[in-house]
Amino acid sequence: MTRISTSAFYERSRLNMGGLRAQAEDLQAAIGRGERLARSSDDPVAASRLRGLLRAERHSAIDTSNANLASTDLQLADGALSEFTAFTIRAQELATQAASGTLNADQRAAIGQELGLLHGSLVALANSRNGAGHALFGGVTTGAAYSVDGAGNAVYGGSASAGELALGEGLSVSRGITGPDFLNFNHNGVPTNLMAVVKGLADALQGGAADPATAARDALGALDSGLDTVSAGQTLVGVRLAWVDLTTERRIDLSELRQGEQAELGGTDLPATITRLQEILTVLEASQASFTKLSSLSLLDNLR
Amino acid sequence: MSSDLLSIARSGAMAARIALDVTAQNIANASSTGYVRRSVSLTEVTASGGFGRVNDVSLSGVRLDRVVRNADQFRQAEVRRTGGDAARAGAELTALENIETAVEQSGLYPAIVGFDTALQRLSTDPVDPSLRSAALEAARTLAGTFNLAASGLEASSTLQRFEAQDEVNQVNDIATELGRVNLRLSRAGIDSSDQAALLDQRDLLLDRLSGMSDIATEIAADQTVSVRLGGTAGPQLVSGGTTQPLAMSTAGDGTIGFTLGGGPITLSGGSLAGRASALDTAAATRTALDGLADSLISTANAAQTNGAALDGTTGQPLFSGSGASGISLALTSGAGLATAPAGSAIGSRDQSNLAALRGALTSADLAGGTDALLFSISSTVASRRTTSEALDVIAGSARVALSAQAGVDLDAEAVNLIRYQQAFQANGKAMQVAATLFDTLLAIR
Repeated sequence: MTRISTSAFYERSRLNMGGLRAQAEDLQAAIGRGERLARSSDDPVAASRLRGLLRAERHSAIDTSNANLASTDLQLADGALSEFTAFTIRAQELATQAASGTLNADQRAAIGQELGLLHGSLVALANSRNGAGHALFGGVTTGAAYSVDGAGNAVYGGSASAGELALGEGLSVSRGITGPDFLNFNHNGVPTNLMAVVKGLADALQGGAADPATAARDALGALDSGLDTVSAGQTLVGVRLAWVDLTTERRIDLSELRQGEQAELGGTDLPATITRLQEILTVLEASQASFTKLSSLSLLDNLR
Repeated sequence: MSSDLLSIARSGAMAARIALDVTAQNIANASSTGYVRRSVSLTEVTASGGFGRVNDVSLSGVRLDRVVRNADQFRQAEVRRTGGDAARAGAELTALENIETAVEQSGLYPAIVGFDTALQRLSTDPVDPSLRSAALEAARTLAGTFNLAASGLEASSTLQRFEAQDEVNQVNDIATELGRVNLRLSRAGIDSSDQAALLDQRDLLLDRLSGMSDIATEIAADQTVSVRLGGTAGPQLVSGGTTQPLAMSTAGDGTIGFTLGGGPITLSGGSLAGRASALDTAAATRTALDGLADSLISTANAAQTNGAALDGTTGQPLFSGSGASGISLALTSGAGLATAPAGSAIGSRDQSNLAALRGALTSADLAGGTDALLFSISSTVASRRTTSEALDVIAGSARVALSAQAGVDLDAEAVNLIRYQQAFQANGKAMQVAATLFDTLLAIR
């Protein structure tokens, strides 16, 4: 016969109900937290994977801000290049007027003055700054992209390349475009740049050349090439913007995948957890009721 | 005829009284720790007929033979053994959870990722003062986190050593007490209620002792116990009235060792063994943390020295000190971060040295190392938790088996109350019959 000692009965009931209560509290905490794991030892493998996901997520956040930065700089460059195009077209109009034989020297000089102003605007535009205050077309230089020398010519002072911005997963994008990339071109086999052409024409029209009309006609061809180079530069910027967009989409896809995995590994499965909690609460209630019933049963009560 | 109805009834009434007393004692001690249920064993008192009186009726009633203490030595030894294992696993699990908390909750892993991402962000514009400050603050957080993890680990180890020392003192106190109980047991009458009380005390002391260390016991014929520490082949802690002192020593790395009477012993059960093993894990964890911190210090400082700060001077060390508890931030300003290669101009936007630093940190794989450390601790905790739960169940069932035999059941005692009360009443009735018989004899005229 198995005897059940009174203290053992109370002890067991206490342990059983205590265990049920602890389980219910764990489940309740998991629901409250929204996370399945309170500490790594609850599931070491999942916890380690979650740490890896957290790390990837943090890096991805930086990649996103890099992409935004690159996108902003490229859009600024794009806007500036549109201005360059407008200025170049204006210079072409002026050159066409100046090339006409019907103008007298004074009228040409006036056009030359306007071209001189246009040259100043081009230099100022080439020295645009980006959001961080660095030269937009100067690569990774610390100062201005172009400086004006004693003769009034614009001289490039920036670095050879625009510098790269990492976009994560080993991908990167050129963070902009340097001045020489879209201002320098060859005219009749001679390397020159847009600003030099405009300046040369302005000087020629203001009495620098013996035959200003011919100079203007020559310049028309050069301006054409310049316009082509600027357009090519703008296309390059557009391609890079599209590349940034592409990587952003890819990053969002990956981030969604990560969040899915994170929810699967570490998230609380609400329906399952709530059902389990309800089950444990029912069992706890039943064992409390049966404990009360059993503990009130004593032979001693019936002794008279 | 040598029987005496009145004295037989008197002995019966007295035996019933004693049995009622024992029952009442059982009820009163129903929830006393270590109390073992007593029962009375009664025996008939008769005298065999002597020469010439072979066929005589010679009845003398009943007497108390002995007070039976319902304890089974095997079950008690099982409770001690399984209880010792459960206590070891429980103490080790608690200590390991503290270690896990110290390393994980310090936020070491997020801090390492934070430093890495701050450097990644800095590479977009290495001359931006706010990005430089952010990177410097991330480095400060990382150093602080290492300090926090190391001090949490140290606090947990100190607590373990403190508790272990306390338990060593308790073991010595219990051993002294056991020696005293042994001396009194050797003088107590066999199967007396006095002896039963001393045996209760002896078993309770052994029970407490087994919770702290693994003991092997040997019970002599006079019920005195000799106790060996560290298994049956271990040295004697208690033998008769003499005891050997248990002492604890702390090594330089914070791990602990034990000696009994001067000789070194290895404990494999009880909470002392659990604490010693957890302290070994703590020491290994500290070594791993120190390794990570040292690798961070040397990697970052080497990269700094190879580069130029914002003002063009050679980069100064980023961290100073050594080990997880000693690491601290040495740079005072974000401008001191050497992002540009050596020899660069003032305010250079060249970030190749920063890229070199990030590359070196990636190959040092701090995040991977921390992840591996966390994984190793947490998987140890997870497996120990399973072991501890299993051992708890085993110890619990051993305890239930013992208490089924040794514990007081109030229902059974209530039955005994009725039984012995009726026995008492019946004996009273027998006395009444004897009186009536006597009156009948006296009434003859």
